Amino acid sequence: MIFSDSFEFTCPIKTNSGNKSLEHLPVELDALNAKRPLVITGKELVCKCIIKKFAKAFGDSGMTIGIFDGVTENPDWKLIDDLKKTYSEKKYDSIIALGSGVIVDVAKMLNIAVSLNVDSRKIVKDPNVKGPLKPLVVVPTAAGSGLETSRFAHFQGTVFSSFHLMPALIIIDPRMTRAESKEEMAVAALAAFARSVEAYIAKSKNPLTDAYAYAAIGFVAGNIAAAVKKPCNKKSALAIANAVAMSGTAMSNTTAGLISNLGQALVEMFQLPYGIGMGICLPHILAYYQKKGGYNIASLLLPLAAPDQYAATPDSSKADKALAIVGDMIKELYETMGNKIPKTLKAAGVPQYMLEDILEKLSLADDATFDKEGYLSVIKSAWEGKPEA
Amino acid sequence: MLLPEYYEFCCSVKLVAGHKALERIPALLADLGAKKPLIITDKGVAGAGLITIVTESIKSGVTIGGIADNVPPDSDLKVVNELAGMYKQKECDSIIAVGGGSVMDTAKGVNIIVSENATDLMKFSGAGALKRALKPLIAVPTTAGTGSEVTLVAVIKDHEKHIKMAFTSYFLLPNVSILDSRMTMTMPPFITSMTGMDALTHAVEAYYCLQKNPLSDSHAYAAIEMISKNLLTAVKNPTDKDSRLAMAVGATLGGIAFSNSMVGMVHNLGHSTGSVCGVPHGICMSILLPYGLEYNMHKSEKFIAELLLPLAGPDIYSKTPGDKRAEKVVELIRKMNDDLYAATDKRHARCLKEVMDRDGKQMVPKEKLIEIAKAALSDPASAYNPEDVDYEDNLMVLEAAWEGKPLDRTKIKKG
Repeated sequence: MIFSDSFEFTCPIKTNSGNKSLEHLPVELDALNAKRPLVITGKELVCKCIIKKFAKAFGDSGMTIGIFDGVTENPDWKLIDDLKKTYSEKKYDSIIALGSGVIVDVAKMLNIAVSLNVDSRKIVKDPNVKGPLKPLVVVPTAAGSGLETSRFAHFQGTVFSSFHLMPALIIIDPRMTRAESKEEMAVAALAAFARSVEAYIAKSKNPLTDAYAYAAIGFVAGNIAAAVKKPCNKKSALAIANAVAMSGTAMSNTTAGLISNLGQALVEMFQLPYGIGMGICLPHILAYYQKKGGYNIASLLLPLAAPDQYAATPDSSKADKALAIVGDMIKELYETMGNKIPKTLKAAGVPQYMLEDILEKLSLADDATFDKEGYLSVIKSAWEGKPEA
Repeated sequence: MLLPEYYEFCCSVKLVAGHKALERIPALLADLGAKKPLIITDKGVAGAGLITIVTESIKSGVTIGGIADNVPPDSDLKVVNELAGMYKQKECDSIIAVGGGSVMDTAKGVNIIVSENATDLMKFSGAGALKRALKPLIAVPTTAGTGSEVTLVAVIKDHEKHIKMAFTSYFLLPNVSILDSRMTMTMPPFITSMTGMDALTHAVEAYYCLQKNPLSDSHAYAAIEMISKNLLTAVKNPTDKDSRLAMAVGATLGGIAFSNSMVGMVHNLGHSTGSVCGVPHGICMSILLPYGLEYNMHKSEKFIAELLLPLAGPDIYSKTPGDKRAEKVVELIRKMNDDLYAATDKRHARCLKEVMDRDGKQMVPKEKLIEIAKAALSDPASAYNPEDVDYEDNLMVLEAAWEGKPLDRTKIKKG
């Protein structure tokens, strides 16, 4: 047996990935019985050329689409209420999120509002969303975090969770997923990597979460170096975008541990992008898990390395080898990035006196494995950038 | 990890697995807004006592609207209409399908009629004719093999008009599939072995055929590992609940893999052997799988070689030189068939000439191979096979599989 004796797994998402996948959108929408989608995007967040290419792909499909391109970095509840009004007045029947991160969060909030016919005051009262909701399509850009395909949405300080929030369809089109900068690509790849690693070694994992996490880890390990060196490279960017999407499914079906919670704490307390926080912390967390025991770090070697290397490494050395590969991967990434991303929490601007506050926040998370001393040592070593003593 | 130029992948079925997974049904139905299910099954399943287990597990949480156990081995439009009538008369609001492929097909057909208020099922046949969600459908598979609990296809036969209607739609996918070890525990060793090899074939073909993609690959990979570790145990110790559950999960993983990648020659020849000679699908699969691998080895050696790791584990993988791994995979699958032959009192046939019916009569006389080879040419599965097949090659493979001799790979017409 490679799973505990019971599990549940949900992934309502259909994935279309690759060349000209956008052109399939009208057919896919028709299969979802959607005829008038409202597109949610942000012209300050997504390159204009992407919005243009997106509209062009609809070409002569004859489909009526509405485009709202006003999502900004910090959207508020008024936006959701306004969009809900537009949605009902114009009789839209589905939502397409064109972009990643906050754009998808807005789309998910709007979906709750229009499907359950509630305003923002009601939405915020019930973060465990009941469904079913309208069909949500996500067309991600490179700046993803993995949350897009997940059952989570973060909005105005509240975390919403429900399998109904997962999109019905994700269209990963290489015209949309090339990154504008090395940093954008690195953040996305590291986020996908950390989320999939957490799912792959989680105690609540099962063969289905493994299937997603395995593919995602393999894609990041095999493509991160090339993707960050050349963020406009179509092939490696597409592989990273696939990994980001898969990581959302894996994390939605496993319980969050230190990797999710510490990353999220750094986002909320210091506005540190999840991928950057994890690039800094992940090696320290994995080393801590390895020392503590009970986590199958050795199993990571299979998706990280070629099968030959995995099979030839003695069982007793597999975990160390896996940790070394993760360490080397992140080191190489930092070399490519120069000084563009911080390598320690100290360099990221986290003041030393707040390390205990991070720990405090972690203690509030729903984490059965919370270990005050152990977690503090992880935070301290990630702050200094020195391996744990 | 291979990333194709383009791929699609979808399995929106919620999976609930465990030794007591059936007990979750009332809560799952409530999530779907339903509380009065119609149970659809067949006499074999009911006779084995499985419906009693299901009803005992769920009766405190739901009102059972009715139990229909008259699904025939071959789906039938008349029965579909009759059960739809029963659903309406008993005012049911959902369906629980307990059984194998025919039960799943029938339940999907009933669901179309009751959800669309249809009088003519034909109107909804073909691909994409369904436009909205149907009534909640929970699938409880009782064989670990077909994968029909996760497929979006249904086939219903109209025996009066002699037509076969096929339906394809994401809306036909069950909302939930329940994988409970108690549902396969009474399956006899011989059935366990052939359905298990059917599941293995789904996974292996998904991995080496043309429409493979990263997610079908990772599902197939996991399926192969679970099946190879657990099939023989489940056959030898039928009440070993962990291996039963692992087989149920493995078969579902294989079902997800192949329904997202399509299959090739093994299915192609297997379908024809089934239709010409009436050989059960699982038997065809287990016999033909090694030959499909041999036939395609010059095109797909790399992928086949990769399967040695989940099939045999890291020790054997690393001890086998790179250029021998694909052959080793074939050798091990033949060995699985041999072991299953021994463990089932010789009922698990290893070659076509060994396939017998209940009266001990040979089911595939050698002279029938020509007819099978011809019939295979019109089977759609051939489109996804790595090497192009033709009549002569089909016959060559069938003749080898009949005798149980490895394929002479020098004679394959390489395209």
